Amino acid sequence: MIIIVDYGMGNLGSVANMFKKVGAQAKVSSDLEEINKASKILLPGVGAFDTAMNRINDAGMNEVLNYKALKEKVPVLGICLGMQLLTAGSEEGVLPGLGWINAKTYNFSGRINNELKIPHMGWNIAEIEQNTAITKRYQGEIRFYFVHSYFVQVDDESNSMMKTNYGLTFDSAIVKDNIFGAQFHPEKSHKFGMTLFENFAKI
Amino acid sequence: MLRTRVIPCLQLIDESLVKTVKFGKHSYIGDPINTVRIFNELEVDELCFLDIRATVEKRPPNFKILHEIADECFMPLSYGGGVRDAATAKKILSIGFEKILLNTVIFETPSLVTEIANYSGNQSIIGSIDVKKNLFGKYQVYSHDGTKKQEVDPVKWAMQLESLGVGELLITSMDKDGTWSGFDVELIKKISNAVTVPVIANGGAGSIHHIEEAVKQGNASAVCLGSMVVYQQKEMGVLVNFPDRDNLQSTLIHEKN
Amino acid sequence: MSDKVSETYRICTRCIYDTKVPKIAFDENGVCNYCKMIDDLKSQYHTGTPAGEEKFAEIVEQIRKDGKGKKYDCVVGVSGGTDSSYMIVKAVEWGLRPLAVHYDNTWNTAIATENIRKILGKLKVDLYTHVVDNKESDDIFRSFFLANVPEIDGPTDIALAETMYRAAAKYKVKYVLEGHSFIAEGVSPLSTAYVDGGYIRNIHEKFGKIRMKTFPNMTFAAFMKWILFFRIKKIRPLWYINYSKQEAKVMLMKDYGWQDYGGHHLENRMTAFNHSIYFPQKFKIDQRNNTLSAVVRAGLKTREAAIEEYKTPPHIEPELVEYFKKRLGFSDEEYTAIMNGPRKNFRDYKTYKKRFERLRPLFFLLAKANLVPMSFYIKYTSKSEI
Repeated sequence: MIIIVDYGMGNLGSVANMFKKVGAQAKVSSDLEEINKASKILLPGVGAFDTAMNRINDAGMNEVLNYKALKEKVPVLGICLGMQLLTAGSEEGVLPGLGWINAKTYNFSGRINNELKIPHMGWNIAEIEQNTAITKRYQGEIRFYFVHSYFVQVDDESNSMMKTNYGLTFDSAIVKDNIFGAQFHPEKSHKFGMTLFENFAKI
Repeated sequence: MLRTRVIPCLQLIDESLVKTVKFGKHSYIGDPINTVRIFNELEVDELCFLDIRATVEKRPPNFKILHEIADECFMPLSYGGGVRDAATAKKILSIGFEKILLNTVIFETPSLVTEIANYSGNQSIIGSIDVKKNLFGKYQVYSHDGTKKQEVDPVKWAMQLESLGVGELLITSMDKDGTWSGFDVELIKKISNAVTVPVIANGGAGSIHHIEEAVKQGNASAVCLGSMVVYQQKEMGVLVNFPDRDNLQSTLIHEKN
Repeated sequence: MSDKVSETYRICTRCIYDTKVPKIAFDENGVCNYCKMIDDLKSQYHTGTPAGEEKFAEIVEQIRKDGKGKKYDCVVGVSGGTDSSYMIVKAVEWGLRPLAVHYDNTWNTAIATENIRKILGKLKVDLYTHVVDNKESDDIFRSFFLANVPEIDGPTDIALAETMYRAAAKYKVKYVLEGHSFIAEGVSPLSTAYVDGGYIRNIHEKFGKIRMKTFPNMTFAAFMKWILFFRIKKIRPLWYINYSKQEAKVMLMKDYGWQDYGGHHLENRMTAFNHSIYFPQKFKIDQRNNTLSAVVRAGLKTREAAIEEYKTPPHIEPELVEYFKKRLGFSDEEYTAIMNGPRKNFRDYKTYKKRFERLRPLFFLLAKANLVPMSFYIKYTSKSEI
């Protein structure tokens, strides 16, 4: 059972809907026991970095998540803010992230051409840097829906899965062993998102 | 590289899809859910739903239909119409919509914008402004589904909404609505030049050429299509459709990088 | 020809209709009465022969003449499917100036609307659409389901016919072209494919909840008005000339980017539900025997191959049942109860059938004048109810 972690932030309904559409068993839950029993974990997120980390820590979720990801090594997918939480930390806040992947989250503001609006919002192209379990069956140009004001860049290129360009080149998807991250919203990227979710479900 | 967003904008009255002309007479278009399914299959990038009579009829949004729409859609969705308080906004966002459009309520309760932004971020709010020219060609802002004139200049109002914290602005030309004669490029340009948030042009689209005008001359970041996506042609029968992707692609890629 | 079920199971020696088909009878060679009906039509219309083509050329000439000075000279119903798409392409080829007409029952798929858009766009043909209020449309479908009758898609057929008449009258057009082909589609038994405006009205009165305001029902009076007063003729080109559905599909795909949706009428979800689930599961009738028999009669498939194909279950779009239940507001229990419920037909409700039978001589004349299709005369005015 894929558990979609509910820490009070994120569009969980849409994520659950898309898993249902691709025929995968998934459940939204904030229950630590259920998360502990999960065969795979989906970490969603929309909103502010620190608010998210606070909620995760206060609910005691960080321990079980660390265990599942680093010790038991179940497949984990973090999307949007969920991917940023996988990094060491963000310029948006002061709290450390889960730190499972060597990467940091930076602010677009001040780094890109003035004429480009922030947040980065809309459909953009992703280039696959590295093929993994979740990039199967992608052919030709692939695009996703993005909404974010902060971006991620990995310290080590071996963790980069996809790159996208918006004023600068950033990592739109990252990977380390069993842990995956997607900056875009697969649940809002119709067929492109469905392929990703289907691949994740089939791991 | 980011392609300009081209967004079908669908009008709801009760549980039916309709299309208005100049904010007046409307024609029946069809079942909203089936239409959404078709747009899903056509893989459009984004959809916008407006319940145009909710505010004037003093009723809340139809959550049942919104649920069904969100269940069918795997692309970004925005909704406007009758959103009067933060609780309603939150409920709609949790159903599966990315953004809320606010129009009339901002004149009465400007703080609502900040309240919702604090909860779900500025990018979740689109400030919607309806504009009509008066007899002397001067632009005037209207609320309440185009029935009540407001004494504020559209550009000033747009700047005001930006400072309140909206993530984007939807600018609708009431005169152009449903006419297939092109966007009000002058209006769009005036507002785009005065704000930094993205501006979505709405009202009047009849061809890809019009879309190009709104983007290249009006500096719109995105455009809404109404009649174009529900009729075969001007004055002909209902046919749900979306402009050809390749045509849009070649016309609209942002080259700024 | 009796109503009694045959004692032994038989299959026609020529097509694949068997004793499960209502009102079937076999001659001394084992050939069924449906084959005979097709043969009769074929010889009457000289289908696919030079005589047939010549007759049709005369009709086209007449249509062109009668259309002078008008914006359009004929009306063609379009659904996004093979037959109607082919019809509109040919109409333009024949030098006619058609108005395409579509009735939207709000259950269309994107394939259908895209096919319509592409073909009409390339041919530069105008489209007239009638969209029924979705709540009304669903109320009527609901009523038919609750009535336990097979013709759940019947209202759509009547509505399209009425819409075409209205479009024709609006633009003062005298001809409606239909893409029906008895060679390619065979003939449906009346017991499971009966439809008229009175039938719809009666079922709706009994089971419907929402008043019919936007649904274009064709009452008897309206029917008479269109054919006797407006004198609008129904022409079925494919009854005169050769038609190969397979070749038509290839041409449409190649020249117009038309998309095949894999099966007769699957461009609309209600039709898909009807053909792949409702008919086979509730009425134990698999309507593919219509087309398969037609294909066998035309020599495009062997009878044995058709019988084999017929044995394999029909393709069902996943989630179609869920969509049907959700949209029409049936609980799982209600749905199952009806699907397992009694099987009724048009004889259990008030229809115009008796009236049609009484006016048989009149309809003969009208059929000869192309004011009603000959198949209507044969099936609807005959007491034998084939």
